[in-house]
Amino acid sequence: MINLKRSKKPPLIPMSSMSDIGFLLLIFIMLISLINQRHEVKIDYSEAKVLERTQEPENLEIWVERNGRISVDGKVVALDDLEQLIAGTLAYQPSARVHVIADRNTPYRHVNAIVGILQTLQHRVVSFVVREEL
Amino acid sequence: MKRKPDDPGDSASLNDLSFILIIFFIAIAGFNVNKGFLMTLPNRERPRIVQTEDLLKCSIDASGTYSVDGKSMGKEGLEEAIKDKRLNHPNMTFLLLIDPETPYQAVVDVIQAVRAQKVENFSFRMEAAGA
Repeated sequence: MINLKRSKKPPLIPMSSMSDIGFLLLIFIMLISLINQRHEVKIDYSEAKVLERTQEPENLEIWVERNGRISVDGKVVALDDLEQLIAGTLAYQPSARVHVIADRNTPYRHVNAIVGILQTLQHRVVSFVVREEL
Repeated sequence: MKRKPDDPGDSASLNDLSFILIIFFIAIAGFNVNKGFLMTLPNRERPRIVQTEDLLKCSIDASGTYSVDGKSMGKEGLEEAIKDKRLNHPNMTFLLLIDPETPYQAVVDVIQAVRAQKVENFSFRMEAAGA
């Protein structure tokens, strides 16, 4: 007769590998969030209640401060250079979405200057970025 | 009382910490999503012809006051004016004339009102300075 002895020790699931998986996931997500980072300009956002998502895989964000200073990717850009920058970006990435992120108190003429450039370049779709009103 | 030695494989607290950090970074990654209004810019070369009775002309002055067909009104009044016009003219066109010094938020408010009333034909342009 075979003597089968049942172990009295309760079954144990090794949890040490869980932290390895956790940290690998953490490194992956940290890298993803680093790739997605953008150069924020300190502005007072415009607000609206009804919004739509305007984000695309490829985006060009044009920031307009209250005094009309324009910046792209953290660099201040003159209006004359902006046309070349937009044209260059759209030539390289034709499906790129152009976003205008302006301060709520910016006089409209500054935003209109960007709109005018886009019209000149025959790029007729633009996203006016606003924040959700709470 | 005999104390049980610490299990070197017991890393439950590390698991908790790593997953909390994961949740934090997922939340951070989700912040960079642009939301707003997708605008189709008017074509300079091919202006659209619109019937005058379908047109609702609104202008905003430098102080952000709206004026519809020469009548000054607030945000609520503007929404009502769009609603009334749309009832009688479902294919209405909304034309927004913006003063160069108008604060951007006032323009956003008009766009919001137009979008809320589901007006499809929307056009805007800046008025010449001193006009």
